Amino acid sequence: MSSDGSRAVRDLARARRRRAYGDIDWMDALYKVYVTAIFSAVGGSMLSGWVGGRPVTPAELATATEHGPALVGLVVAVALGGGLRSGGRGGPLALQPADVQLVLLAPVPRGLALRAPAARQLRFSAFVGTVTGMAAGNLAAQRLPGSYAEWVAWGGVAGLVTGLGWTGSALVASGFRLGRRWAGALAAAAVGWSAADLATGAATSPLTFLGRLAMSPLDGVPFSPLGLALLAVPVVGLARVGGTALEAARRQAGLAAQLRFALTMQDVRTVILLRRQLAAEGPRRRPWVRLPAGRRSRPVWRRDWQGVLRWPAVRVLRLVVLGAVAGLAAAGAWRDTPALVLAAAAALLVAALDSVEGLAQEADHSVRRDTLPVPPGRLLVRHLTAPSVVMLAVAVVAVGGAAALGGATTAVPVGALVAVPAVLAAVCGAALSIDTGPVNPLEVELFGSAKVVIRSVGPAVLAVAGVLPVLAARAAVDAGAAAAAGAVPAGVAVLMVVGAAAAWLAREG
Amino acid sequence: MLEADDLAAAYDDHLALQGVTCRVAEGRTVALVGPNGAGKSTFLRLAAGLLEPSGGRVSVGGHPAGSLEARALMSYLPDTPALYDDLSLNEHLEYVARLHGVHEWADRAAELLDRLGLDSRGGDPPGGFSRGMRQKASIALAFVRPFGVLLADEPFDGLDPPSRQALDGLVAEAAAAGAAVLLATHRLDVVEQADGCLAIDDGRLVYDGPADSAEVAKLLSS
Repeated sequence: MSSDGSRAVRDLARARRRRAYGDIDWMDALYKVYVTAIFSAVGGSMLSGWVGGRPVTPAELATATEHGPALVGLVVAVALGGGLRSGGRGGPLALQPADVQLVLLAPVPRGLALRAPAARQLRFSAFVGTVTGMAAGNLAAQRLPGSYAEWVAWGGVAGLVTGLGWTGSALVASGFRLGRRWAGALAAAAVGWSAADLATGAATSPLTFLGRLAMSPLDGVPFSPLGLALLAVPVVGLARVGGTALEAARRQAGLAAQLRFALTMQDVRTVILLRRQLAAEGPRRRPWVRLPAGRRSRPVWRRDWQGVLRWPAVRVLRLVVLGAVAGLAAAGAWRDTPALVLAAAAALLVAALDSVEGLAQEADHSVRRDTLPVPPGRLLVRHLTAPSVVMLAVAVVAVGGAAALGGATTAVPVGALVAVPAVLAAVCGAALSIDTGPVNPLEVELFGSAKVVIRSVGPAVLAVAGVLPVLAARAAVDAGAAAAAGAVPAGVAVLMVVGAAAAWLAREG
Repeated sequence: MLEADDLAAAYDDHLALQGVTCRVAEGRTVALVGPNGAGKSTFLRLAAGLLEPSGGRVSVGGHPAGSLEARALMSYLPDTPALYDDLSLNEHLEYVARLHGVHEWADRAAELLDRLGLDSRGGDPPGGFSRGMRQKASIALAFVRPFGVLLADEPFDGLDPPSRQALDGLVAEAAAAGAAVLLATHRLDVVEQADGCLAIDDGRLVYDGPADSAEVAKLLSS
C-alpha cells in the first residue's frame, strides 16, 4: 500500500508541476526577469557608489582582519538562531492544509511526502543567501583591499551556506521536535559562542570559520574550508524531515498563507499580528508591574502603559536589539557609510511599530473606537505619547550601541541632539502605517491619489527623515563646525515634518 | 477499534485534555459531546495522529495513533475542509484513493458524489465551492477509501437536509460494515441515533454510556 501511495504522491507532484508551468505566460515571465535584472543591476551599482566612501584606514583594516570573521560568524549565528527558533515552533515548512489532511494522514512515509517541499525551501533559501552574500561581497570590495571577483565569489559561497544553514537548522529543530525552549537555548548558544569569539578574537566556532571563508580575500585572514562543515546541517534536516509535528505544520501553513496575502496587500498591521501568532508571542498574563489605581484624567496614557507592561520578554528583547542595531547603523553612517541611515531608520520604524500597540489595538477594534465620545483624531494623537516615551528608551540603547562602535565622546552628544526627532519621526511613521491601513487595490488603480502614496511610502520616508540629522551633524563636523550646527536645524526641520504628519493624522484619523 | 488510556494533551501551559480513558468498539457509532473548548477536537486530533499526547496513549486498531498502520485504518473528517485549489474534485478523489492503495475508485467516487448531490461538480476545482459544498467534498474524500475507524469533527455543520440524510446513511453503512465511528457534535438528533455517548468537559471525560439517557440530554442542554 505504501509504494502505491508513494507513486501517487510522485504522480500528483508531477501533474501539479505540469499544470503550474502550463499556466505561466513565458513571455511575461521573461519580461519580468529582464526588468528585475536591469533594476537590480542599476540599484546595486548606485548603492555600491553610495556606500563606497573612502577606503579603510590601516587601523580599520587591522580591526576588520582581526574581528571581521567573528562578526560575520555572529551574523550567521543570528540567522541560524532564527532558523532554530522557527523550527522549534513547527517551521520552516509551510504546507498546504490539504497536504496535511490528505497526504500526511495517509499511509505514506511522511519523510517521502515532506522531502520535496523541504528541498524546494532549501533551494529558495540557498538562492536568497547566495544573492545576499554576493551583494555583501560587492559592498565589502568597495572599501576593503582584495580582488573584487574574490569578494563577490566568497561572499556568495558564505551566503549560500548561511541560507542552507538557516532552513537546515529549522528542519533539524522541527524534525527532532526540539520544542521552543530547546531550540531557543541552542540558538542562544550559537549566538553566544560567536559573540565570545568576537569578544576574545579567537576562532573556535564553525561560524567564525565560515566568516574566515567570506573574508578570505583579505590578506591576513586564513582560508578555512572548515566553515563548509555547516553544510551538514541541511543534510541532517532533510534526513529528519519526516519527524515534523503535523499540528504545528498545519498551524504554520494557515498562518503563512495569511501572511503572504497580507504582504501582497502591504498590510503591515496584519503582518505584525500574524508574525506574533507564528512566534506564539502573546501578552503576559500578569504585567511586569501592576499600575496603581488610575486617575480619570488620562485614560489613554494609562491604557497604553497597561499594554506595554504586558509585553512578553521576547518583545522587550527585540526592542533592545533593534535599538542597538539602529545605534550601530547610525555610527556606521557617521563613519563614512551614509547608506546605513536606511538600516537605522528601518530598525527604529520596526521598533516603533511594536511600540504603538495601543493605537493599533484601537484601529483593530474600530467599532469600539467609533463609539467613544472622543474625536478619533484626538484619540489617535493621545495614543502617541506613551510610545514616544518607550522609543526614547530605545534611543538610549541606540546611543549605547553607537558609543560601542564610535566612542562615547562623539556618540552621546550627537545622540542627544538627534534622538528626539528620530524617535518622534519613527513613532509618527508607525502611526501613519497603522492608521491608514492596507493599500486598497481599487485606490491603486486610481493612481495619483495622495492617500495611496502616503500609505505606501509615508512611514518609510518619515523614519528615514528622522535619522538624517545624523548626516547633517557629520557634514557640519567635516566643515569644521560643531555637530549641533548641522543637527539642530535638520532636527527642527524633521520636527516640523512630524508635526505636519501628526496634524494630517489627527484630521484624517 | 479506538482505544484511549489515561490520555492527556497540553498546549503550552494549558492542559487541554487529562486522564481520558475510553474505547469505541468495531461496528459502533459513538457521539462525542461537550461544550465549546471542552477538548473534543483535541481528542479527535490526538486519535488522528495530528497531535502528540503529553501523557497516556491512544491507539487505532491496536496501533499507536499516527503510525503508518493506524493511518491506513483511520479516516478523519476535520471541522474545516482542507482541499487543493488546483485539483478538481474527481482528481482529489483519485488521489486520496490511490494514497490508500485503492485502484478501483471511480465507481465508488461516482456513487458518493451522486449521494451527496455533487455529481455535476466532479470536474470542478473546489475553489469556487460554497462552505456546504466543500464540506460535502470533504465527506466524499473521507468515504472514498476503506477504513476501520472514522473520526468526524462536527460533520453535519453546513449541510442541507438531503446531504445530512446522505451522511447519516454513509455513517450507518460504515458502522454496519464493522467500522468504529466517533462523531463530535452538538446536535441532539445525531446523539439520539448513536449507539453510545462520550462527554468531555474542561478536558475530562465526564460521561461514557448509552446515548439515550437523561444525563446526556442534560449535558447537551447545559
